[in-house]
Amino acid sequence: MEKLFISRDSLKKLLDRLARNLNLVAPVKDPEGIIMFGPVADAGQVLLEYQNSTLPPKSFFFPQTERLFKFSYGQEGMALEDMCGSDKRVLFGVHPCDLKSILSLDPVFAGAYKDPYYINKRENSAIIGLACSNPSPGCFCATFGFGPDDGEGSDIMLTPSGKGFDADVLTDKGQEIVASYKDLFEKAGDSPRIAGETRLTVKKLDLTGIKELLDGNFELEYWNQVFEKCLGCGICTYVCPTCHCFDIYDSSKGGCDGERYRSWDSCMFTHFTMMAGGHNPRPSKKERVRNRFMHKLKYHIDRYGLAGCVGCGRCVKSCPVNIDIRRIISDLGEVSRNGQL
Amino acid sequence: MREIARDLLESGQVNLVIGYGRGTGILRTTPVFIRKPSDAGQLVYNPLCGNNLVKYLLDQRNKEGRAAVCVKGCDSRAVNRLIQDRQIDREKVYIIGLPCGGILDPDRVEGAVDPGEEIKETVISGEGYDLITAAGKYSFTMAGAGSEKCSTCQNHNPVVYDVMAGDPSDTPDIKDDGFDDVRKIEEMTVEQKSAYWDRQFSRCLRCYACRNSCTACSCRECVFDQVNTGWVSRSSNLSENTAFHLIRAFHVAGRCVDCGECERVCPVGIPLRVLNRKILMDLKDLFNTATPGLTPDGERVLGQFSADDPEEFM
Ligand code: SF4
Ligand code: SF4
Ligand code: SF4
Ligand code: SF4
Repeated sequence: MEKLFISRDSLKKLLDRLARNLNLVAPVKDPEGIIMFGPVADAGQVLLEYQNSTLPPKSFFFPQTERLFKFSYGQEGMALEDMCGSDKRVLFGVHPCDLKSILSLDPVFAGAYKDPYYINKRENSAIIGLACSNPSPGCFCATFGFGPDDGEGSDIMLTPSGKGFDADVLTDKGQEIVASYKDLFEKAGDSPRIAGETRLTVKKLDLTGIKELLDGNFELEYWNQVFEKCLGCGICTYVCPTCHCFDIYDSSKGGCDGERYRSWDSCMFTHFTMMAGGHNPRPSKKERVRNRFMHKLKYHIDRYGLAGCVGCGRCVKSCPVNIDIRRIISDLGEVSRNGQL
Repeated sequence: MREIARDLLESGQVNLVIGYGRGTGILRTTPVFIRKPSDAGQLVYNPLCGNNLVKYLLDQRNKEGRAAVCVKGCDSRAVNRLIQDRQIDREKVYIIGLPCGGILDPDRVEGAVDPGEEIKETVISGEGYDLITAAGKYSFTMAGAGSEKCSTCQNHNPVVYDVMAGDPSDTPDIKDDGFDDVRKIEEMTVEQKSAYWDRQFSRCLRCYACRNSCTACSCRECVFDQVNTGWVSRSSNLSENTAFHLIRAFHVAGRCVDCGECERVCPVGIPLRVLNRKILMDLKDLFNTATPGLTPDGERVLGQFSADDPEEFM
């Protein structure tokens, strides 16, 4: 790993040039004050300091709606046209929780089952991470064993330091970027990194006993106390950087031509597990709410050995009825110790 | 409110009280479902009780017994609407009315408080509130931190209730709503309007929180869940999202009670209320009608038949 430094001015130049030469995706604020990742034309609009974006950068690897292929049927029979492919791009300004979330998605789309659409975008993207200088009060990443300055998952990790940013070059892809824009980087100095302090401000919840509790108890009286207020909307799963369920559809404007696409789905929706014959194994909000937390706190760990939640706090902020995963975690901890709340 | 709830449950008049409870941190409250008299102490009421709880009455539709629900002025119009639509039976609900001086917008309060704190007491002060916490006092004015919708509120007290919890609010009701928010958009050129709504709709996640929180959305099966009909597909893009929003706005026309819940819940800040209020404004202009739900037997502009309707082409 190479440790370099880039001044604020040079970073702006770097972003300008990346935007010119490749596709640059970065956090921006729209006129309504919503922070989202989007394509940018220059460094002008890019946020160099922000609290978690309303939506994570997930959709740049796993778009909400993704066209898979076109089909047509003619004299020669069925013809398919592949729509897989992505331009080279740089994702700038990704916070540690979102970096971790991408690592949590990797084994889903690039593990035993290889999803070419995801893998293609992943291979064609370089990620420049950004440590959080001002974690939001809802952040609880420390719970999952990392913190606001953790660079794992990025190709280059930037951490505010002195009049610029320390730049840790972590991978070959990162090395390539540095090599192309050598003039902008300097040797790392010894100004202290800010993130040492911010680390202390982030909540660390106690997960002791929760996985074991859920391993042993599919049915828990506790869920009866949580589900009733759920509205069954998709907010929590759609703002979540690690949720990854989708459904597949064919669409046709008539005739024999059309395309197949996939679109995000949500385990909180009534129809999510609806079977063709009309049976629904998760018939009520109770089973659906339970499933989301079981996935976050158990299933993802069982399957991939990785946390299904990275503590970004987005669902906490956006849930209209205040179903708060931090409270669920502390309640489940209590249940595991005392058998009840 | 707690006493009322306890009495109702103890006497067996209701078997459920739907109200607000303490949320996580000062910015939030959370819906609670109280079934035991001894749990009535969980109920709270403060200026961060934004949710419209009336939606939950739909879950009780086919259940035994009577449920009580806590409503603010705006929410109460939704009770009337659901009764008019025969979605709920007046005999099966007990309405606890809450006086309201306006709700604070958590996004506008957020910067000024330590979100980890909890409200111990709320004091109405001048044109706003003092929130008393263990750490001290935070003062907010409605003008500075109030919810947008409360600036045009026409019912600071419920329009229908079985009992009021506390003295009625003396905050003056707005008699003639100028629909300034709608007019501001109407003043834009066609191109500006189109750019404005395109930007909003392209952000939409199609999470359906607006629909699921809305009391006017009571269909057993929503058209947006009927993927195979081809009206609106599940793909999320500007054109499908626009179709979704226009269909929804027209579907709730004449039934939307302007409670603002859809806009409150939207995670990406789409100004949904102004869409619905455009229709409400036109309904008022064209039919000289009141906001839906204002009275229990009020007219339903788009939902009733009358033989002497002056419709020229009939
Ligand atoms: S479950 Fe909530 S806090 Fe955890 S990663 Fe998803 S959105 Fe973030
Ligand atoms: S609209 Fe009126 S009744 Fe509703 S929350 Fe605002 S002030 Fe209260
Ligand atoms: S709540 Fe907002 S994001 Fe969700 S479907 Fe409605 S308008 Fe779209
Ligand atoms: S459309 Fe919005 S404002 Fe109207 S009743 Fe439904 S939630 Fe309330």
